Amino acid sequence: MAERVILLEHDEDMAARLAAALRATSDFTLAATYHDAISALGKGGVFRPHLCLIDVENEDALEHLPDFAEHFPTATILGLMEEWNADTAERVLAAGGTGCILKPFQVQDLLDAIALYKRRGQPKPSRTLTFFSPKGRAGRTTLAAVLAIELARLSGESVALIDADLQFGDLSMFFDINPPHSIIDAAHDIKLLTPATFAPYFHPLGNNVWLLSSPDRPEYAELVDAEGLIEVIRMASNLFRFVLVDLPAGFSPISIALCEFADTDFLVTMINSGQEVRHVRRSMRMFALWESYGKHVHTIFTRVNPCTTEEKEKLERELGHPVSDILPNEYQMTAITGAGRLMKELPRDTLLIKIIGYMAEDIINGRR
Amino acid sequence: MEGHQSIVIAVFSTSSGIGKTITAINLAAEFAKEGYRACLVDLDLQFGDVMSYLKLPSGVTLADAQNALLRSPENFRITDFLTEYRHEDVSFFVLPPPRDVYDAYIIRISTIENIIYQLSGFNFIILDLPAVFSALNLAVLDLSTIINFIGVMDFLPAVKNYKVGYDTLLRFGYEEQKVRLVENRSDSQKFIRSRDVERLLGTKFYHRLPNDFPAVSKSIREGRPLMFAAPQSALTRSYWDLVGRYTGRPKSAKRPYEQKKPGAFMRFFGM
Repeated sequence: MAERVILLEHDEDMAARLAAALRATSDFTLAATYHDAISALGKGGVFRPHLCLIDVENEDALEHLPDFAEHFPTATILGLMEEWNADTAERVLAAGGTGCILKPFQVQDLLDAIALYKRRGQPKPSRTLTFFSPKGRAGRTTLAAVLAIELARLSGESVALIDADLQFGDLSMFFDINPPHSIIDAAHDIKLLTPATFAPYFHPLGNNVWLLSSPDRPEYAELVDAEGLIEVIRMASNLFRFVLVDLPAGFSPISIALCEFADTDFLVTMINSGQEVRHVRRSMRMFALWESYGKHVHTIFTRVNPCTTEEKEKLERELGHPVSDILPNEYQMTAITGAGRLMKELPRDTLLIKIIGYMAEDIINGRR
Repeated sequence: MEGHQSIVIAVFSTSSGIGKTITAINLAAEFAKEGYRACLVDLDLQFGDVMSYLKLPSGVTLADAQNALLRSPENFRITDFLTEYRHEDVSFFVLPPPRDVYDAYIIRISTIENIIYQLSGFNFIILDLPAVFSALNLAVLDLSTIINFIGVMDFLPAVKNYKVGYDTLLRFGYEEQKVRLVENRSDSQKFIRSRDVERLLGTKFYHRLPNDFPAVSKSIREGRPLMFAAPQSALTRSYWDLVGRYTGRPKSAKRPYEQKKPGAFMRFFGM
């Protein structure tokens, strides 16, 4: 059955071009074309549209976007723009829109975009989560990878893992893949990309999780800056409901900028020599500042033994700050991640994975 | 470095938590024990552990040294900014990193280069570096005599990072002779054999350090180098051996502190 479309386009020539494209296929039926938002909202309802195409470069239409989402709750609402604008794309998602597409388009572009946004999940803004640790070997990457798998499983929505540990990223090894594209290519090309052309930079890991890997040479890290990486994350937000970014250890211009950009930061530390609480305390000043601006900051200690409430309270006293979660050691994880079998052999019956599963549930339900 | 007699040993790796700081401390202590003047510079400017592993107070730090150097270069004496570690007959000096994480940003590469140059009164300067190819690390690797490139081969991603790190060092033009590959925890239970790692690297390890977690824990807990915290440990002996290779100590030399109290286990193995 053809999808009924209403089109809101202020420019008559553009409206004619888009209408012609839609008429050239049996996939869509153009029910009506409007030039202003009020008419579209008032009259469009009689057509019970499946798809609303809305010129979001027009401020009036963009402001009325929440009304479209409310009037047509089951419809796909796509913003139209001539040039990709990340701010506008974010406003469309925040207003309950499905996503954006460049105009003029071919029918295939429209079909591809609808498929990508369907895969993404609910038409809601993305959650962006970063994983920071003062020093390496903290279990940071393992937490990010397992949380990604659990978020995808429990939400049914799509999840991106972005390996921003530019010099020594391990995520592609955790999943035993050798992706053709890296985050460096993505940051280099990002200004020329749209969600549809950006999607192939991600490597499918299965079960609704995708990876944008780090490069294979440490010196390539020199080729990107924080600004480029933030554009990558913003574009990824159009394709994925959850965007998880694994950072290099320690503070660097890149790790600071990405932590600052994300809505949620995980500060991950492994209990090992006993010096780690001091490192977190030293890092906390920066995170406490962000927390005071409303960012979610989760302080996580890994390899806590025994993994008990008493131990958590002890760490909190030492740190002088609440500890979000403590995670137990799970001896199998080294072998599983080292062998690249994380997706295939995630040991769900272990306490470690169960706790990360609860964390995923909380994130999905907006509790953290 | 022209006109500079000190041997500069950079302790470097491409993974954290693999024993760089322990290695740096024990190299410094063993050099000192042999009568050399040794200075340990903690260049992990954000999260350096040298001072806490030795239970030393950070009185003056690299940040203070930089301030003094910039204020009045002609009156600057680096020795004013060193903290001495002394126990029994062993003494060496430490240049601590800034106390505040954010002060790490104000440290200039030129300051570090200048300071290392001014440490020329020391026979050995040991640099404890964070696991990253940064502008600072590359600058000090350039002026190092030897790069002690250390790794633990217990985890495939770590082996990958070690190989990538080694290839990168060679690609950056460091001579193979300068890069000394040191395998830490070489005898711990693991899935990956050193022989296979050497085949992957295309070269042999220069030195292997055995695993002794209890000895290292005790050393950190007591705030003393291994020669005091665990004199009988095979790891302590291995650091002594490594230092002997750097100082050209005759093979027939005996370890001073080992003869005091040889354990039954050591005697059994004829060590």
